[in-house]
Amino acid sequence: MKNILEISGLKKSLEGTPVLKSVDLDVRLGEIMGLLGPSGSGKSTLLRCLNRIIEADSGNISYKGKDIKDYPPSELRKEVVLVPQESVMFSGTVFDNVSYGPSIDGYVDKKHILTCIEDAGLPSDFKDREAEKLSGGEKRRVALARALALKPEVLLLDEPTSGVDPKRKEKVEKSILNFSKKRDLTVLWVTHDVEQAKRISTKIANLRDGRIFRIYDSVDFHGGEAF
Amino acid sequence: MTGIPYGIYEGFLILLSVLSLLVLVVILTAIKKLGISKEMVTAIAKGGIQLFAIALVLNFLFTYDAWYILIWALLGMMVIIGGYTSAKRATDMPDAYSITTPSILTGGALVLIVLAITRAMPLYPQFIIPLAGMTFGNSMRICSICMERLISEVKQNKGEIETALSLGADSKMAVKNHADTSIRASLIPTLDNLKTLGIIFIPGAMAGLLMGGTDPILAAQYQIIVYLMIVGGGTISTIMATHLAKRKIFNEKEQLREWVYS
Ligand SMILES: Nc1ncnc2c1ncn2[C@@H]1O[C@H](COP(=O)(O)OP(=O)(O)O)[C@@H](O)[C@H]1O
Ligand SMILES: [Mg+2]
Repeated sequence: MKNILEISGLKKSLEGTPVLKSVDLDVRLGEIMGLLGPSGSGKSTLLRCLNRIIEADSGNISYKGKDIKDYPPSELRKEVVLVPQESVMFSGTVFDNVSYGPSIDGYVDKKHILTCIEDAGLPSDFKDREAEKLSGGEKRRVALARALALKPEVLLLDEPTSGVDPKRKEKVEKSILNFSKKRDLTVLWVTHDVEQAKRISTKIANLRDGRIFRIYDSVDFHGGEAF
Repeated sequence: MTGIPYGIYEGFLILLSVLSLLVLVVILTAIKKLGISKEMVTAIAKGGIQLFAIALVLNFLFTYDAWYILIWALLGMMVIIGGYTSAKRATDMPDAYSITTPSILTGGALVLIVLAITRAMPLYPQFIIPLAGMTFGNSMRICSICMERLISEVKQNKGEIETALSLGADSKMAVKNHADTSIRASLIPTLDNLKTLGIIFIPGAMAGLLMGGTDPILAAQYQIIVYLMIVGGGTISTIMATHLAKRKIFNEKEQLREWVYS
């Protein structure tokens, strides 16, 4: 299996404080990798560097063997799709939100949008609901569907179950696992929940002190050592 | 009756007697301990001195044969001062004057050209200077509101803007709604004003013309022209300003610039 993402020596400071000191990480095509680290360890910052919504200070990120700087930013972002930690809804309906990405290029395949809404675990009659009025957990799913609508290669999920009420957490996990499998997605899944990391991933990368401290196989990972 | 029925020297005496109003107001604010009496006096003094200074310049220009050369310097100053004043309201955004100055220039100049072509503005300094002052001044005011609003919109909605960028939108699309909101917000005070015209107050240009003895219908026509000029200049300036602002808000990698996060 080959690597779809290769990160080496990645550094990023925010307001003068080094957050990522030197991150090295390879993600294989089709795998679901958990990215585990304490709050404030720079998980979100790392994901934000990967879709180039912010610029790393130094180091290299390659996607499909090519430096991400060699892609037009919007093209990269349509393939390496970030679902941010906060699900901000655009005004309009769920359908408007989910079709936002495809509509940029002018063509919206209605059936595809509805499939994405359902795959994200929302009933299809949600399509006409006003997105800004949904609950936190529902917004999360809209954000997931919105990302899927772009037909991504890599999904960068930033704590995709935060804000989802605990009873529904595992349901959201299941939908993510299902649609990822169905679409052969590569997923980098940020979480600070050890149990969740074990449930969802095959490998767990532990971000600590600005570096990838270790990479574990999920089956032999116990969690204690990660913090 | 045409115009003010007394001369300059008598005018100074009359002004001095009306200054009794200022004395009254200062006494009132002092008694109420509002703490603004000193500011009132300095504001009136500063404004008054500026007005006399410009009056001297105008007196000179109105009689100077080569006024059409000097007037360019005066117009240029209006634009530059307008640009810098407007940029001051765009705190946080670095070098905002490089957006506000060309925007105010474009909006104002286009409107003045239309006024000149339609003969609404006879090409004498008596018309050009006050009309240019009103056009550039109002474009500046409207542009200030627009920039202030745009900056706060962008800072408050960076999550939404990042979300749009993350879904493949370019900077133009990502900021479109916020730019439109800012343009609208900057024009609304003028439009509201327009709706109450004549009911609550008689606006400056018309008031001036009436006191100068102009036929009220003619004065009304001219006031409408002035408002068209204000709305036109403001709209063009803000469209241009929000357009130019994009490269201050985003970098060439379609990322929000550093200052937005501060
Ligand atoms: N815009 C910002 N400006 C300055 N510091 C920031 C900014 N965003 C995050 N940080 C800081 O960077 C560190 C890493 O943040 P983040 O990547 O969000 O961590 P995590 O997602 O692992 O909780 C934290 O200490 C956070 O306070
Ligand atoms: Mg985070």
